[in-house]
This record gives sequence, structure tokens and C-alpha cells, in this order.
Amino acid sequence: MKFTLFGVNIMLPSDVLAAWVFTLLLGAVVVFLVLKKKRLGLIWEYMVTTNHRKIGILYILFGIIYFFRAGLDALFIRTQLAFPNNDFWVFQGEKYNEVFTTHGTMMIFFVAMPLLLGLMNTVVPLQIGARDLAFPFLNAVGFWLFFFGSIFFNISFFLNMTPEIGWTGYAPLSTEQFTPGAGSDFYIFGLQISGLGTIFTALNLIVTIVRHRAPGMKMTRMPLFAWTSLITSFLILIAFTVLAIALYLLMFDRLFGAGFFSGTEGNPIYWQHLFWIFGHPEVYILALPAFGIFSDVISTFSRKRVFGYPIMVLSVALIGFLGFMVWAHHMFTVGLGPMANTFFAITTMLIAVPTGIKVFNWLFTMRLGVIRFTTPMLFSLGFIPSFVMGGVTGVMLSVSAADFQFHDTHFVVAHFHYVIIASTILGIFAGLYYWYPKITGYVLDEKLGRWHFWTFLIGFHLTFFPMHITGLEGMPRRVYTYDDSGGLAELNFMSTIGAFLMGVSMLFAIWNVYKTYKEGRKVGNDPWDGRTLEWSVASPAPEHTFDPMPVVEGIDSFWFAKSAGKKMPVTDQVRATPLEVQSILPFLIGSTLFFLSLGLTFSWYWLSILSAFILFTLLVVRSLKDEREDHYGRRK
Amino acid sequence: MNRAEQALFNDKKMGFFIYLGVEAIMFAVLFATYLIFTPASNGPQPSEIFEAKTVILSSFFLLSSSGTLWLGERALKSEKQNIFLTGLGITMLFAIIFLGFEVYEFASFVREGHGMGVNVFMSSYYVLVGLHAAHVAFGIGWMAVLFVQYFRQIPLTLFTEKLSIFSYYWHFVDVVWVFIIGIVYLPYLL
Repeated sequence: MKFTLFGVNIMLPSDVLAAWVFTLLLGAVVVFLVLKKKRLGLIWEYMVTTNHRKIGILYILFGIIYFFRAGLDALFIRTQLAFPNNDFWVFQGEKYNEVFTTHGTMMIFFVAMPLLLGLMNTVVPLQIGARDLAFPFLNAVGFWLFFFGSIFFNISFFLNMTPEIGWTGYAPLSTEQFTPGAGSDFYIFGLQISGLGTIFTALNLIVTIVRHRAPGMKMTRMPLFAWTSLITSFLILIAFTVLAIALYLLMFDRLFGAGFFSGTEGNPIYWQHLFWIFGHPEVYILALPAFGIFSDVISTFSRKRVFGYPIMVLSVALIGFLGFMVWAHHMFTVGLGPMANTFFAITTMLIAVPTGIKVFNWLFTMRLGVIRFTTPMLFSLGFIPSFVMGGVTGVMLSVSAADFQFHDTHFVVAHFHYVIIASTILGIFAGLYYWYPKITGYVLDEKLGRWHFWTFLIGFHLTFFPMHITGLEGMPRRVYTYDDSGGLAELNFMSTIGAFLMGVSMLFAIWNVYKTYKEGRKVGNDPWDGRTLEWSVASPAPEHTFDPMPVVEGIDSFWFAKSAGKKMPVTDQVRATPLEVQSILPFLIGSTLFFLSLGLTFSWYWLSILSAFILFTLLVVRSLKDEREDHYGRRK
Repeated sequence: MNRAEQALFNDKKMGFFIYLGVEAIMFAVLFATYLIFTPASNGPQPSEIFEAKTVILSSFFLLSSSGTLWLGERALKSEKQNIFLTGLGITMLFAIIFLGFEVYEFASFVREGHGMGVNVFMSSYYVLVGLHAAHVAFGIGWMAVLFVQYFRQIPLTLFTEKLSIFSYYWHFVDVVWVFIIGIVYLPYLL
């Protein structure tokens, strides 16, 4: 559609137009509901909050919203690939590149990350007996940076300037010469802002876990989700920092005429190195917290302590450590030479060892346990075989010689969806069903939960299993069409059916949330007969928890006190509680970065300078309104 | 400091040290970038354009500002308010002088036609040394806020806490500069 606005000719493709119409309609409905139910106060409350549970809810809410948006992209991709030589709507050529770019980028950065950070935010303090994260204000800043980064990335679609460089942003395609439009800048700044927020949150989690545990909650007594959050946070600090610098360099390439990744002297391979030094640990950043969730869920619903606790911790640490030594297995076909390829092949294969140990330990945790097949447990059980399949193809891909055949085919697509969906997404579902009562006070409906689980699991295998075969047949990824030869048609059609089945399964999840809310049956502190400290506080967790503070005497202390029919011992010897405040500053700080990036993207430097000025002013205001002033002794 | 204040300060200290670790990784990647791309195969070479005089002078001011900050911090602990104010003031002054040298150096490079896009050496030089200069500029603003906080009479324990956190930052920025001397300048000045 073409039209003229303020003398500018604007061309809107029909998909962008549809997005505008849909968003405006949905926005109108939301505004209407908010006004009708008089919930503006609630929105304000969440905008100024620094409470860990509320920020966790915000992370989860936006993670779910983006999950639907990026899932819709997946359905577009699968519809386009449903038949050979298909022409679905507009999704050919560049539009196809755009849709797989947004699908990948959003699923990784704006779905998996916030959902995991949301669960960590909500649950980790409750699990270790902390009253909040160590720096509540910084926590809110972290969330709003994520929020504005994600919004920045998302508006590109509405301006018909979607990035089309893949989630990996490979140079030289991502440099100005080949993608002169603003799309790649939206990618750079969207990830930069939200990545900064992620770094702050990781820092916050580390200090919380190291310094804010309840009395007696030694590191060796922490639940495994807290452990995996700790190790993941360290990975985030290193990986996201490298990404930040990679994006910083790319920004100079694109906006200020530097030539790191292109031209006669620049080196596109350097981008690949930097990106994968971030990108591979990122995979473990997504998987390790999910491992923690599974460990807690499996232990609870098997009524057994997790098998081989020290080894479980050690193997997570080992996976995290090895995760930094495998990045070049994404670059086997670059031509780094046989020595490099051999080294990275071997380190990659090594990762299978600690991962395998974990799989066996989960199985041994269930052995002779009293197993209850609740929804979170079903998701955990679905995870084990699915993830093992992804692991096996991972070992296949690590054979660098064979990788020359697999590289950039649908075999790789099958592999990474098997590992990431099986671990991260199933883990998030398990975690959401498991901790839903702690977040909202309700337990989700079990019957609909089972429907959600089975349709999702079947849809998932139906989508991605055929891709192994089409990939081995040589079907390349990131290509919008294929021809009829080689029996690709049937397999691709199966994938498409599976994808829609996964889409349907998410409707069950939404229905479940709605139904639970309507029925409104509140549950007590401990609906699952849990083992760890979070089940000792009220559901939903109140703002001020652990008063009086329990004293932990061992792993699953709460469980043993409960089974002995006793209460946990308490103490009033409590360290200083983190200082929560109500402040709009975090929101404003995030928004200045949004406008700063907008100015840089469109060379409106006045806007950038103005935003930077406001940003520094806000930082000064923050310093002058430090909540610690009221808690410290006045000067003599 | 009482126990509660000490606990909160230790939280902040640990958080800030982790943050400095993040900064260290950032600079490490930029140093790696510089080492990979320098010297470039054409265009200006580091040995042609670096001037020992500017480096020595700017280093003198920045490195001694760490010392003056340390003296000021010590004076605050022994309640010598005037010496403290002088120490922090000189630190800020030296930082401004350093930044002046940096701006002068960048400006003279650009004037000679050695801008950001001339070759990869210049690009990697600007992104690294420029980021460091941005840190110094941020530090100057931070010191200004510290002065304001001092005269606002905030609780003394809170002020010492804020000053300590700043001094970690400032010493870190100095250490990065030492690495810049050793990796960016020195190999091409000798």
C-alpha cells in the first residue's frame, strides 16, 4: 500500500499494514479494559516497583508476549515452506530474511532471556532466604533496559525497516555497504540496550546469591536452580560483555566509517569470532537455568533428594567453563585449519560428558522415587529424551569433517531447536507451572496443562524431527523455497503441521491462565509438597518475606522439618535487608537510552545529545535521591 | 560504620568489583582488536603519528591523580576536611588536564587527516582510547557530584562509601591507561 504523509511517500507492505491494524486494535482493547477496570494505578505501581517478584512478573509477561510474536514469525516461515515453490503472502526473498531474523533474535534475546531472568528474579531470592535482590533499584534498571531494548528492536517492523541479517548479524552483510537501511541499526541498538540490562541483572544475582543467603544456607546447601543461576550469571558477565563490544565495533563500522569487519583491511571473520565467543556461552546461559529448574522439579515430584548433588553442581560449572572453549565449532567451514578444527571438535565432544552425567543423575533421582505426574513433572520428563536427541546430533555436528556436509542445512536447524526448545522452553514451562502459585497464588489447571504438554511435545517432534532428514538431503537453512525433487515436500509439510500444533498448544496455555484466573481458587504456601525454602513463604510471595528468618540446617531443610512435623528454627540475627524504593527513575533511564539509540539510527544527533544529557541528569538525580541516606547515621 | 551499613557497603563493593571485571573484559576485547589490526597495511602508521611528549605529559597528570585521590581519601579518614577537599580538587583538575591532552591529540590527528575511517589502525585506536577518555570524562562528572554530596552534608559513612566506590573506579581507569601506554603507545615510540 502506498500513501503520502506530510509530503513523504510511504510504501507499506501488506504484512506491516496488518501488524499496524492488529496492534492498534489490540492496543485499543487493552486501553479500554484498563480504563474500564480502573487499573491505571496497577500499571503505575509496576512502573515504579523495585520488588523482585513484581519485576519477575514483568519479565515473564513480556517474555510471553514476545513468545507469541516470534512464534507467529515461525508460523509464517513454516507456511512459506509448507509446499515446494510456494508463494505465501509476502514472505519470499528479503521478507523471508526479515522473518527468520526477527524469529531468531526475538526468541533468544526477548523470549528465552527474559523468561529465565523473570524466573530467577522471582524464585532465587525465595529459594535462598533473601528478602530481595541485593540492589533492587539496579534490578528495575535492568528490567527497563531490557524492555526498551526489545521495544526498540520491535518498532523496526512497524517502520518497515526490519533487520534482515539473521540473528547472528554476520559481517560483511551487516555492514553499511550491504544493508544500508536502518534495519541493522535496530538490531545493534536493540541488543545493546537489552544486553546492558542483562549484565546488570547478572551482577545483581551474583551479589544476592553470594551475600544474601539465609543463616545456615551454605553454598553447598543451595537448591540447584540457585546454583545454576549463579553459574549462568557468571557466563552472562563474560559473554554479554563480549557481545557489547562486538556491537560497539559494528556500530562504528556502520555509523562512523570504521572498517573492522569489511573493506580491504577489515576482517569479517573477526565478527564471527566475537559473536560466537558470546553466542556459544549464550546457549548454555539458556540451558543451564533450565537444568536447575528440572533438577528442582524432578526432585520435588519424586520425593527424593536430587541424586549426586555435588556432581550436579560440578557438571554445571564444567559445562559453563567448557562453553567458552567451543565457539569455533560454529566456524568449521571458515577454514581455520585442521589444528583449530580438531581442538574445537574435541572440546565440543567433551561437553557431552558433564551433560550426560546430569541426564543420568536426573534418571537416578527418579529411580525408587514416589513419582507424581504433575504438569511440571511431565515437562521435565519430556525434556530428557528430547534433549538427549539434540545432544546426540550435537556430537554429530562436532565432527568437523562431517560438519562440512551438515553446515547451514536444516540438520543444524533441527539440532539447535532440539536442544533449545527441549531444555530452555520446556524448562520455562515446567518452571512456570511449578512456581505459578508462588507468583500469583493460583495453581494452573492440571487437565489443560496436560493438553498443553502433549500437544506441544508432539508438535515439537513433528516439526523438527523431519528437518534432520531434509537437512541430510541437503536442504539449506535461510532459503525461502525448495523444489519438488528429493522427497522434501512430504517432510516439509509434516514440519508445518507440527508447527501449527505447537501454536495450538499455546492456546491451551492461555486458556489455562484465563480459566485459573476466573475460577480464582487460592492455594496455600505449599501446594506441591515442596522441599525448598520458597514453599515456606505465602503464595503469592509478599513484599516482606522471611520474617522471622529461618535457619537452614542442610539440603532441603524445609522438607525435613516438615516431615518431622516441626517448624524450621528461626533467628532474629539477620543481616541488613536490601533497600527497596518506589521510583520512576529506572523507567526514565531506560527510555533515554531508547531515544539516544533512535537519534543515532537516523542521524538525528540533536536527539541523541539531548537524551544523553537527560540520562546524565537522571543519574545525578539518582545519586542525590539515594535511598541509603535515610538509613545511614547522620553526620556528627 | 555500624554493622548494617558495613553489610550494605560490602554488597555495593562486591557489585562494583564485578562491574569493574565487566569493564576489564570490555577493554581486553578492545586491546585484542587493537593488536589484531595494528599496524595497518596502508595509511598512517602508529610510529609516524604518536608523539612522546603528549603521552608523557598526559600520563603524568592522570597517574598522579590516582595519588592525589588516595591522599584525599586518607585525609577524610583522619578528618582533615581541607586536605580532603584539596586532594579531590587536584584530582579533578588533573583529570580535566588529561582530558584536554586527549582532545588535543584526537583533534590534531583529525586535522592531519587521520580520522576514524582512514584505516583499521586508526579505527581501533579511536574506539579504545576514546572509550578510556569517555571513562575519564565520566569520572570528572562523578567527582563534581561528590563535591555536591559533600556540601549537602549527607551522612558521613555514606559519603565515605561513595568516595571509596569512586576511588576504585578511578584507580581502575588509571590501570587501563597503564595498559594503553604499554600496548598502544610504547611499542611504537621506542
